[in-house]
Amino acid sequence: MTVAADERLAGTGLVRRLLIRPELGAVVGAVVVFAFFASRSETFRSVAGVANWLDPASTLGIMAVAIALLMIGGEFDLSAGVLTGTTGLITVILATRYGFAIPVAMLAALAAALLVGFLNGLIVVRTGLPSFIVTLGTFLMLQGINLGVTKALTGTVQVGGLRRAEGYEQARAALAGTVSLGGADFRVAILWWLGVTALATWVLMRTRAGNWIFAVGGDERAARAVGVPAGRTKIALFMTTAGAAWLVGSILALRFTSVQANAGLGQEFVYIIAAVIGGCLLTGGYGSAVGASIGAVIFGMADKGIVFAGWDADWFTFFLGAMLLLATLANRLVRRYAEEVRH
Amino acid sequence: MSAEPPLLLMRGIVKQFPGVRALDGVDLEVRRGEVHCLLGQNGAGKSTLIKILSGAHQPDEGVIALGGEEVRLTGPTAAIRLGISTIYQELDLVDGLSVAENVFLGHERARLGFVRQGEANRATRDLLTRLGHPEIRPSTEVGRLSPAAKQVVSMARALSHDTRLIIMDEPSAALAHDEVANLFRIVRELTSRGVAVVYISHRLEEIREIGDRVTVLKDGRTAAVGLPAKSTPTSEIVSLMTGRTVEYVFPPRRPRPATGSEVLRVTGLTVPGVVEDVSFTIGAGEIVGLAGLVGSGRSEIIEAVYGARRASGEVVLEGRPMGRGRTAGRGGTAAAVRLGMGLAPEERKAQALLLDQSVAHNITLAGLGRYSRFGWLDRRRESAEARELVETLDIRPGDPDRPIKTLSGGNQQKAVLARWLVGERRLLLLDEPTRGVDVGARAELYAVIRRLADEGIGVLLVSSEVPEVLGLADRVLVVREGRIIHRADAQDLDEHRVLDMIMEGSAL
Repeated sequence: MTVAADERLAGTGLVRRLLIRPELGAVVGAVVVFAFFASRSETFRSVAGVANWLDPASTLGIMAVAIALLMIGGEFDLSAGVLTGTTGLITVILATRYGFAIPVAMLAALAAALLVGFLNGLIVVRTGLPSFIVTLGTFLMLQGINLGVTKALTGTVQVGGLRRAEGYEQARAALAGTVSLGGADFRVAILWWLGVTALATWVLMRTRAGNWIFAVGGDERAARAVGVPAGRTKIALFMTTAGAAWLVGSILALRFTSVQANAGLGQEFVYIIAAVIGGCLLTGGYGSAVGASIGAVIFGMADKGIVFAGWDADWFTFFLGAMLLLATLANRLVRRYAEEVRH
Repeated sequence: MSAEPPLLLMRGIVKQFPGVRALDGVDLEVRRGEVHCLLGQNGAGKSTLIKILSGAHQPDEGVIALGGEEVRLTGPTAAIRLGISTIYQELDLVDGLSVAENVFLGHERARLGFVRQGEANRATRDLLTRLGHPEIRPSTEVGRLSPAAKQVVSMARALSHDTRLIIMDEPSAALAHDEVANLFRIVRELTSRGVAVVYISHRLEEIREIGDRVTVLKDGRTAAVGLPAKSTPTSEIVSLMTGRTVEYVFPPRRPRPATGSEVLRVTGLTVPGVVEDVSFTIGAGEIVGLAGLVGSGRSEIIEAVYGARRASGEVVLEGRPMGRGRTAGRGGTAAAVRLGMGLAPEERKAQALLLDQSVAHNITLAGLGRYSRFGWLDRRRESAEARELVETLDIRPGDPDRPIKTLSGGNQQKAVLARWLVGERRLLLLDEPTRGVDVGARAELYAVIRRLADEGIGVLLVSSEVPEVLGLADRVLVVREGRIIHRADAQDLDEHRVLDMIMEGSAL
């Protein structure tokens, strides 16, 4: 007994298997962008140059990976950008104004972040409102809190002086320090980013939680019908995103020793863009953590490359928009091709 | 009966939905190791009963007992835990996950949260081999499989649980002939191990071949329990399914002039694999009904005529041939509308209505060109015309500015029909026009359809309900497996014979 599926299953060649990976568009994009800037600027392709453009990629990458998980699970989080500011502000305020040791202040910030994530998730799961709207609400509320509290406490729009707080040196070494490699200083955040990407990939590919994420994003009804705890999975995803926002907020606060009240504002879409360049579908159920990371690398390269090439940095967003369109078009073409081959 | 209690016993199950009593006291008794077939016409309550068994719906009244113990199926997980697996007709698989991941979704083989993928793959391969499909690879993404292979995966999922009862909802609908043989082999293997199968199918010959006993549902009630599947005469089964307790009132037919002009001529219409060489004509003022089962090709015929589906053959509307190989959008449906066709699709809410918009807006949607001048809409004319139609068709409540979603199903459907009365219509294509319309409102809808025909419009009607086709249409085409197997005047046919033909294919 055979079904018609026989041949097409046997015909899964290596090339095709590579082609249908969600991150393909991002990889091609990254290679093209690298080749482009490397040919324009010698500094760009030097070790110091690489260290330089990996820096913005790292913090963005941590967030993009978390957002990618959430998007695969079928939801959005617009509050993630501002939440990086909120967590940084909490840490700095507790450490400088109330005398908390930095690790304690950071734990308090983490608790606050997880609470925000939990509430985001709970509202989305319980009410069935689109997460785009729910997190837009939290986004605006957090933005107001950040500004209002900061101004009330300091009379200005920033809090600083983290350098003098207890435990600063150790915390900075762990989160915002540098590592020498090949004659250049690489940010420790890059290691965190690689770790987060590896962890997320492992969860997605090898754990039951990963299965559930793809299932609730791909077909929530089907997932529920076989007993997947869809609500808990989604809440956990929102909390993961909030946790990542805390990590990035802490890294940035320790690096600059001060936080602006509007920190992280506008970044929420950048995370989503990186995840989409990395192959995530807006409709959920499809994407990869590695892809989102590569999306972040493209951002980093474009961000610094434009400066290295000696151009006006104002062109950055134009470049990004073009990248977004090209990468998603490539992803779409490849998916369609992969689907046609099997017919 | 033996001392052993039946595996499943359902008594007096009642399920009420807003406006409809879907189940009105259903009994079902399934023994270990048997294939129990569930038969009934569309709307008899089969799907509701399955949903109650799989935990998706809770019954309002009645008792369910498994192995002699009363149980409550509070949700899908509870049903699965009690050993009830369901294979739905529209398979519940996640396309983005692999075969093995789908099979073990929700009950992953895991240690400390980490999936033992090797073990899951091995177990899946074993299950697939047992099902006779070792060539389906556990690591393949499900979205890349054929419908038949997907069904095998669903089956593997049902077997991956410790299952006592498997419900199969029209499992053969998506399968080719030789694949059905494999399905039966699997079913026999399951029952030889004591697993019971509740088998739902419209195909009587399958029920004869695989079934042990048959329960017939009619109008939400059990018409017969536990008939022997092999020996009960077809005529008895069909008469248990037919003879509705609710009588519809159909408008009287008007004698048509023998020389009535021809509105539509379809010649050799073929949609590869679905519709085979279908030819027919519709005269002005004539209602032609297509009777057939879901999947017989009747909806595809309508779509092909409308130009929403690629097909070969000729479609001629009032002497004007429609383009060949037409597809949606590219001169297909747009040309169909321009030349005077109108379609009321099967999925009214999804395909035909803007639910949040007003009744008036929904009616005038297709004819907006008529009210626009230099790109501006003449709102006054638009609403005047809508108001007139709301009155003519007696759409209630008679307020054109109400959001259409607040109307009953029957009145929504009238609004869909009204849409095609804006402008000159020559041919109306109606796909299941009374689905989700309550019994009382049907008569009004029938009257509206008949009145449209009397005004000289040709109507092509598709319905799963044989009495509806027979009562409303002038001529009936019986469709089975993509072919017209019988054509006759509606007055010369009875429900019994038509059901016989569409189920057994024994024309003449």
